[in-house]
Amino acid sequence: MSALFSPRSDALLKLVLGLLVGGAVATIGGLLLYVRTPYGVSQAEQLVQPVQFDHRHHTQDDLIDCRYCHTTAEKAPSAGIPPTETCLACHAQVWNKSPLLDQVRASWFTGKAIPWTRVHKLPDFVYFNHAIHVNKGIGCATCHGRVDQMASIEQAQPLSMGWCITCHQDPAPNLRPLDQITNMKWQPPANQAEVGPKLAKQYDVRARVSCTTCHR
Amino acid sequence: MSSKPATAAVLDPLEPVPVLVGRPDDRALTEALLKPLYAPTTRGWKLLITALAAGTGFWLLSLATTLVVGIGAWGNNIPVAWAFDITNFVWWIGIGHAGTLISAILLLFQQKWRTSINRFAEAMTLFAVAMAGIYPIIHLGRPWFFWWLMPYPATTQLWPNFKSALPWDVFAISTYATVSFLFWYIGLIPDLATLRDTAPTRLKRTIYGLFAFGWRGSARAWQHYRIGYLLMAGLGTPLVVSVHTIVSFDFAISQLPGWHTTIFPPYFVAGAIFSGFAMVVTLMIPARKILGIEDVITMKHLDNMAKVILATGMMVSYGYAMEHFMAWYGGNKYEAFAFINRWTGPYAPVWYMQLFCNVLAPQVFWFPSLRRNLKVLFLVSILVNIGMWAERFIIIAVSLHRDFIPSSWAMYSPTWVDWGLLFGSMCTFGVLFLLFLRFLPVIPIAEVKELRRELDHLDAQAAGHGATGEGTP
Amino acid sequence: MPSLGLPIFGQSPAGAPASPRWRSLAERDGTVDPAAGLYPDGEEPAPEGFSRRSFLQILGASTALATLAACKPPREQVVAYVKRPVGVTPSVASHYASAVSRGGYGVGVVVESHEGRPTKMEGNPGHPASLGGAGLHELATILDLYDPNRLSGVRRHGQPVAWGAFLGELSVMAGVLAQDGGARLRVLAEPTSSPAEADLRARLLARFPRARIDSWGPIADDAAREGTRVAFGRPLDPELRLVGADVVLSLDADFLATEGDHLRHARDFASRRGQPTGINRLYVAEASFTVTGGAADHRLRMRASEVLGFGRAVAAALASGHGLTQLAGLGAPLAGPRGRQATVVAADLARVRGRGLVVAGRRQPAAVHALAAALNEALGNAGATVVYRESALLDPASGPDRLAALAAELRAGQVDTLVITAWNPVYTAPADLDLGALLARVPNVIYLAATDDETARAAGVVVAAAHPLESWGDLRGRDGTASIVQPLLSPLVECVTGLDLLAAFVDQGHLGAWRLVREGWKARAGEAGFDRAWSEWLASGVVTGRSLAPAAPVKAGLDLARVSAALRAAPAPGAGLEAVFAPDDKTLDGRYAGNAWLQELPHPVSKLTWDNAASLSPATAARLGVKTGSQVTLTLRGRSLTAAVLVQPGHADDSVTLPLGYGRSVAGPAGAAVGFNAYALRAAAAPWIDGGLELKATGKSHDLAQTQEHFSMEGRSIALAFDVDKLEAAAHELEEQRGPQPSLLPLVDYGKEEYRWGMSIDLSKCIGCGACTLACQAENNIPVVGKEQVLNSREMHWLRVDRYYQGSEADPETVSQPLACVHCEQAPCEYVCPVNATVHSDEGLNEMVYNRCVGTRYCSNNCAYKVRRFNYLDYHKAVTPQLKMLQNPDVTVRATGVMEKCSYCVHRIEHARIDARVAGVKIGGDTVVSACQQACPAQAIVFGNLNDPTSRVARAQQGERRYDLLHELGTRPRTAYLARLKNPNPELA
Repeated sequence: MSALFSPRSDALLKLVLGLLVGGAVATIGGLLLYVRTPYGVSQAEQLVQPVQFDHRHHTQDDLIDCRYCHTTAEKAPSAGIPPTETCLACHAQVWNKSPLLDQVRASWFTGKAIPWTRVHKLPDFVYFNHAIHVNKGIGCATCHGRVDQMASIEQAQPLSMGWCITCHQDPAPNLRPLDQITNMKWQPPANQAEVGPKLAKQYDVRARVSCTTCHR
Repeated sequence: MSSKPATAAVLDPLEPVPVLVGRPDDRALTEALLKPLYAPTTRGWKLLITALAAGTGFWLLSLATTLVVGIGAWGNNIPVAWAFDITNFVWWIGIGHAGTLISAILLLFQQKWRTSINRFAEAMTLFAVAMAGIYPIIHLGRPWFFWWLMPYPATTQLWPNFKSALPWDVFAISTYATVSFLFWYIGLIPDLATLRDTAPTRLKRTIYGLFAFGWRGSARAWQHYRIGYLLMAGLGTPLVVSVHTIVSFDFAISQLPGWHTTIFPPYFVAGAIFSGFAMVVTLMIPARKILGIEDVITMKHLDNMAKVILATGMMVSYGYAMEHFMAWYGGNKYEAFAFINRWTGPYAPVWYMQLFCNVLAPQVFWFPSLRRNLKVLFLVSILVNIGMWAERFIIIAVSLHRDFIPSSWAMYSPTWVDWGLLFGSMCTFGVLFLLFLRFLPVIPIAEVKELRRELDHLDAQAAGHGATGEGTP
Repeated sequence: MPSLGLPIFGQSPAGAPASPRWRSLAERDGTVDPAAGLYPDGEEPAPEGFSRRSFLQILGASTALATLAACKPPREQVVAYVKRPVGVTPSVASHYASAVSRGGYGVGVVVESHEGRPTKMEGNPGHPASLGGAGLHELATILDLYDPNRLSGVRRHGQPVAWGAFLGELSVMAGVLAQDGGARLRVLAEPTSSPAEADLRARLLARFPRARIDSWGPIADDAAREGTRVAFGRPLDPELRLVGADVVLSLDADFLATEGDHLRHARDFASRRGQPTGINRLYVAEASFTVTGGAADHRLRMRASEVLGFGRAVAAALASGHGLTQLAGLGAPLAGPRGRQATVVAADLARVRGRGLVVAGRRQPAAVHALAAALNEALGNAGATVVYRESALLDPASGPDRLAALAAELRAGQVDTLVITAWNPVYTAPADLDLGALLARVPNVIYLAATDDETARAAGVVVAAAHPLESWGDLRGRDGTASIVQPLLSPLVECVTGLDLLAAFVDQGHLGAWRLVREGWKARAGEAGFDRAWSEWLASGVVTGRSLAPAAPVKAGLDLARVSAALRAAPAPGAGLEAVFAPDDKTLDGRYAGNAWLQELPHPVSKLTWDNAASLSPATAARLGVKTGSQVTLTLRGRSLTAAVLVQPGHADDSVTLPLGYGRSVAGPAGAAVGFNAYALRAAAAPWIDGGLELKATGKSHDLAQTQEHFSMEGRSIALAFDVDKLEAAAHELEEQRGPQPSLLPLVDYGKEEYRWGMSIDLSKCIGCGACTLACQAENNIPVVGKEQVLNSREMHWLRVDRYYQGSEADPETVSQPLACVHCEQAPCEYVCPVNATVHSDEGLNEMVYNRCVGTRYCSNNCAYKVRRFNYLDYHKAVTPQLKMLQNPDVTVRATGVMEKCSYCVHRIEHARIDARVAGVKIGGDTVVSACQQACPAQAIVFGNLNDPTSRVARAQQGERRYDLLHELGTRPRTAYLARLKNPNPELA
């Protein structure tokens, strides 16, 4: 009767066992890496919006300040998605025939809102407040990136809890003078290491990491 | 197999019942012990496993209901947020203690009588721990997040709370499960090889062969094997104590009257061994009969286990007494009430049942005749299993249902899902065990052969001339 | 296993209502400018991104999957306004003042609104009937706004009719009716004090001189007005001024919970409790155990029919013993212990002439009210602790007599057209009138109703009624203070107000309530600067200035002869079992039976939910061989029904209390077939107290879902209460219950923090009404779980009001103790949580992080106070899209399998913090107000910053009565209790 197992089968067995163990480890490790990749946190995703609104044009060419449209950024939790009204404040006069704006005009006349696609999405159990950040020296670009260079808005930062916590534990490196909040081109000065803490003291910045700061 | 009585010369007056009846040679042993595996499946076995499989179905249904509906499918409420779920968990984990104790500690103490029953006990341990492991996960409100209890680098930068005993449980139980499995498997390897070499069909030989990891029984292999087995025993020994100690912390670290007690660790460990041995006896009495291995698992084994049950039963009883003493001596009115409530509260009947099963019933084992009476043994072992379940229910649910603020007191009553999770898990346990009986050698053949040689050796010494020897098996 | 469908809100039989594109019918018909900008336009969809409503979308699963990278949640849309309404900042709540009707009188409310969605109703501090406090019904009314079972549009025999077309029909019909002066037209109206409706009724009667308008309120104060009519010659409303009352004798009056301006009463009464100096004393003579009885220093337990006799005994004692001889004609001394009580009470009242008060209850016959008036007059209390006013109601008489008269006309077939704006008369009418059958004889019944009910089934035409938050209107408080009722959103269904309907009969149905109300006030206030005044009234919720202030109290002479005559005419208490009808604390007359919040709220006294029960004393129960939960057959005047029995310690013997407002046959999923319908035993002749009740056990039993089953403290120091004179003696016991406890762990010193939030609850002030529980539920999106879950003690209320009985079971004293998470500084729940889902904030708050919770429930096991609540099931499954609009976007909605508990309204703290930090200032010690504190009519709850020595809470916690619950455990709770002070009369001890 022939042998059950060839001499190679021992090696084979070891290989199989090795693969089983290695595979398990690789899977877990892979997942831990994945959630740290831009793709894992939906960063840099190109999204199609119902109206091809170009922030580059409005901020660079027309030099419109963020707060002209996002009116409540300084005084409310939400920065405010501009109502159709705001668009037509200008576009009733300029480009008032442009087919690009058909949907805006349609919205105005039908009274139906423009269905924008949300880009910066925090979970529903997270209570972010724009006012406190903007008033304590955190600039728009710090979280939203160079909006002035985006054809269509994309998520510039991970927006993960770890990312928030890191800044809340030491906000100094990200602080800027209040008059620079909406300045997209602002770069931290070489001596931010000294300036940051000064600003923190000046604006009485007290970033908290207690859970209820964001979860209520 | 031959059942000629051992010669009077070697009969030890202190050990009237031998651990091995007769002195069958290796071939006879192998044949006898492998017979059940090669014999055609009996009708009884089929009927039994079908019945149990039905129970398993009920268990799966209960599990599914729990996952879909939520914990609300159970009877749990506020204040009784833990009830059958954790009771079952502690009960199964406790049962899972006999295996390692027999295998590891008795091995280190070179107790001969452990040899024939250790695999049996280990298998039981393994399945019991498997059952136990289910509950900590499904009792979660959101079981799909169970992995949050494990330390891993999360993007939330959060870690488990190591102050809580529950993450300790995760480690205690997973370690115990792993070690028990390895210990059981290592023990199996030589016998798997035997099966590979003796199985009737090529398919069976191949399958057994795969799991035998190419064991050839060379002297070198045996040497490594012995060392490995001894190391595993060393590893296993502390676990016997640690696992249930940590399980007891789940309650002891709380401030709830009836939970907040320093004697819990030893008291829980004793209880675990108590119920573990009871379960081994419960399973072994029918098994040895059906498999026709009464000569290998003899009255001696049952007798010893009865003694262990008696001893641990006394320890548990002492635990009860101490709890009450402390409740009185501590002068804490909440603690005192918790124990008065056990005697006089709405759940008093369960408490009396517990006392009868765990304190009174084992006392019969003071009498050798009763220790060796299969009917009595079987009955008492069942009672102890029931009693130990009741004990956990009393500790968990009854302590919770009336605590500090009377306005929050309430009653707990189980739903069909609760019962399904209890009896279903027993059936699943049974199914696994039947499969084990059917496809793996219940008795560690190689070790019994060794045992026989040791016995021959003793006989020879007793008879005044040197040991008869064949080579190593 | 519990059934998993929760009996809260099913879908409306009519299906989902059409999405409203108009504010009022008039506006839809394009006939009126809806005064744009006066209130936010609820029409635009709220920007999704700002709401937390979608937390439910199996958050767990999606998060888990996202982390497992199996897939990603789909991108959601951001919906912006097309045109942002004036005064609305997305993600910032706005508040509007309005008023709701309570028995026809206005109670001022402030409504919180998020992006045009009203989410919470609170008391209006500027309104005399509220003073900032809110009662159960002010708080719960908002739930009815989103009730999926609301009626929509006009239906004739089930067939929908367009409002415009219906208006046309009405004007034709009106023309026909006008021909004989409306001889065959009758209106059965809801009692109201609305000036606008007064104008309208005048116009109506001008056109239909022979028509009649009757008011019907099943729990009206007719006896009180009849009593004052006897005493003073004309019907008047007594107005209590409890602040000045040192000794109060209540003759079966539940003035702290269900009668009169109970919110103001509670505030005034509580203002005299707590301090040993200046503490008042309350005697309550009553049969059934009421909230007021629970607050009493001496609860004189007697059958309701014996109260008159007791009052006369007091009068006799005053006449004989204290020189008030003018009362001799009224008095009739009593023998035995009852007589002794009377003399003691009399002495006490005489001791404090001008600073005492005798109050008669709604249930008592006119004679008792007349007697009370006479006693107050004789003791010099009148004008000091009680004043009298012309009733603000348009129609002071709204009791059974008027209804009986109408019924007679219906029976005689003298009525062609009956317009009903009164709430559900078929259900509430005395059984002997058999109104339901009579309606069938009327060719033309037009009924205005918000939800389908018994009357709607009997009426030919049913017109959907607008919710107060969708209506324009006006109301007067008992003291005459007028408020404008303003809508906060466009109607969610097609509906009209009572004003719209009545106006249709004078061909003004197209004007819309807004114009009717506004024109009326313009006429009263004058053109000049009216618009500005109008806006001010809307903003403040009270009509002020321009000589519109309420009239001064009237000074009327008392006619003792008529009073004594009335007393002699009053019937003597009959033998046998007495039936006492009572408005239920929760469903009132039944109109709130469909309100799931109120159904699940534990009854202030019995802690009963989802039921009413015939309550009787332990002795009587033993005699009749029944116990709590027994099903019995009640027979009265030949009519009988089956009910469940609840044995109520402290109830008068040989007396059975039958709470009205349950047993609705048509009331939506929450209210239908819950409890028994006491109206079925009620007779027009004896609407409140009736003799000769028979009670037989059927042998069956009925599950009563009580949230508290153990009413004894088991000798533990939990809810502490002391007599004033024993406070010094108790100092030691209190001392043991506070102060530092030894600890092996290093204690965190939160004294160094800027803020240390804490709460103090004064058991002396708490009357146990349960408003705090309801306010918490509304504020924190707390789900309703249904009777089955309550029976399994899975109720979700974060804040519960425990009630303990002390003393004999026959006649116990009670203490009520509101208990929510006490925010231990050494919290037992925290160290046992395996995933750090409940932790301490830097300021020492005990935080519960829902999204981190995996649901081991160990925290609840280790919580000594058992204040944590667990989502055993998906309790939000039954929340319809409409009801989601009610949820407070500032508070996360919790998913299945997650633990939750009181957060000290941390969202309010964080709002205040951010506002303060942006403004660069410190949060004031009393700035943050918790929802329970805000609602509490008695101001028993105080919240604030303990590190600010000037804050009210800091000062309260310094008090000598302060103690910590379960202090010996060393949990260091942030919520401290102030022991209850009782002021018993030594002579009655």
